[in-house]
Amino acid sequence: MDEEVIVAEDVWFSRNNQSILEGVSLTIHSGDFYAIIGPNGGGKTTLLKIFLGLLSPDRGTVRIFGGTPEENRSRLGYVPQMRTFDFQYPIRVRDMVLLGRLSHIHRIPRRFGTGDQDAADHALEIMGITHLAGREIRDLSGGEQQRAIIARALAANPEILFLDEPTIYVDAPTQAGFYEILDDLARKMTIVLITHDIGVVVSHVTKVACLNRRLFTHDSREITQDMIDNTYGCPVDLIAHGLPHRVFRHHGEE
Amino acid sequence: MIGIFGYQFFQNALVAGILASIVCGVIGSFVVAKKMVTVSGGISHAAFGGIGIGYYLGLDPLLGATVFTLGVAGIVGGLRQWASQNIDTIIGAVWAAGMAIGILFVYLTPGFAPDLFGYLFGNILLVPPGQIALMFLLDAAILLAVAFFYHDLLAITFDEEYARVMNLPVGWLVLLLLTLIALTVVMLIQVVGIILVIALLTLPAAISREFSSTLFRMMLLAVALGGCFTTAGILLSYFLDIPSGATIILVSTAVYAVVTGRQVFRSRIFRAR
Repeated sequence: MDEEVIVAEDVWFSRNNQSILEGVSLTIHSGDFYAIIGPNGGGKTTLLKIFLGLLSPDRGTVRIFGGTPEENRSRLGYVPQMRTFDFQYPIRVRDMVLLGRLSHIHRIPRRFGTGDQDAADHALEIMGITHLAGREIRDLSGGEQQRAIIARALAANPEILFLDEPTIYVDAPTQAGFYEILDDLARKMTIVLITHDIGVVVSHVTKVACLNRRLFTHDSREITQDMIDNTYGCPVDLIAHGLPHRVFRHHGEE
Repeated sequence: MIGIFGYQFFQNALVAGILASIVCGVIGSFVVAKKMVTVSGGISHAAFGGIGIGYYLGLDPLLGATVFTLGVAGIVGGLRQWASQNIDTIIGAVWAAGMAIGILFVYLTPGFAPDLFGYLFGNILLVPPGQIALMFLLDAAILLAVAFFYHDLLAITFDEEYARVMNLPVGWLVLLLLTLIALTVVMLIQVVGIILVIALLTLPAAISREFSSTLFRMMLLAVALGGCFTTAGILLSYFLDIPSGATIILVSTAVYAVVTGRQVFRSRIFRAR
């Protein structure tokens, strides 16, 4: 369980002369449920896109399973932020999930075999949306759309699952059930979760990093006052987020 | 009325209409689903530049249009990769520059001015038999390419970023799609003309979208609708003695307006409840 699956070393990235990431280094081990928190515009999504090989760092290196992101993409699952693609597109839930299998089909023309069909059905089952398989994605609720996007990532049987602000458009009761599913998934794969929701981090993840251009972490699930101060640039009282400080301590000691 | 179906030119017109409807329904569905209408508009108007150059060099203007339009599709595809932010402006520039190049080269061509009006608005009743054979070949090639790369094209038009994460050759596939759009446009020039290409490419697909839950069904219905619109348009234009391209488009637009209007009306009632 201690294999280093993601190793970022001194990653720098800027766009339009604006610095987005400055000397980010982190190591994620196999089996981690790793949360990256931080303010909007702090570079969270950029870092994720560098892990996925969608962006190249100006300086520094990222190794995924010891190779480049491009080499090992078929072992990665990606749940982009909602609204990054068009839910008006004419496609049904199962067909969308099935498209997630394309990373494993190299023969052209790319056709789906029974193995692909089974993987898609299994992914729908894990996310509890088997009954929605034949529905058009534009007719789904926000929570159902979110589950469909995760099912698409799961269809490829990823070893690492990246999630970018997965609950941003999901209401609170749906969120609770959603994190239970993530807890289950975390037993089978490495999860990297980007979120601004500190409450979630406390009760579910195994490691936390704070990111605002620079990255701060103690390689544990503990968020300390100095991490928050460094990330948000000014002293933010943890209690101000509605979370008594001692809750963090309890979990840190477990 | 039945008598006119015996005329060769009339049969040609109907066949050309059906052949155009098939590619328009298939390629137009990608265009509408991916919201690439502006890109297609830029490519089709740039085709005018190719027609002008064709005249100037003494070549078949449609050959000029084909080569030029494919070139423009390649440039747009390349620019899309590097300058995603300003693609809208780039399309505008390509659109205008293509038209300007066309006008300039036609002006520079010695002798009397060719009938540009025909290229702008098309005349399906004047499609020569040789053109039908060429259209047939283009139809076959476009359909074959779509069948071969169907899931790839589905993936990049649905979610381009995710397609990239799945290691699909997104750059090449976008280029393929733009090439197919360019070929469709060139084929349509003869039928409805440059100005109206966008309508035949988008209206049947847009209407079809309202009644289809998958891209494949959308294509099938769009092809059927396009066939009805072109046939109805050709008949109307013949009997009323009005321009065929414009008639086809107005028939399509009328149906589109009814369908969209009905949709708006329904959602109003739904909300009022």
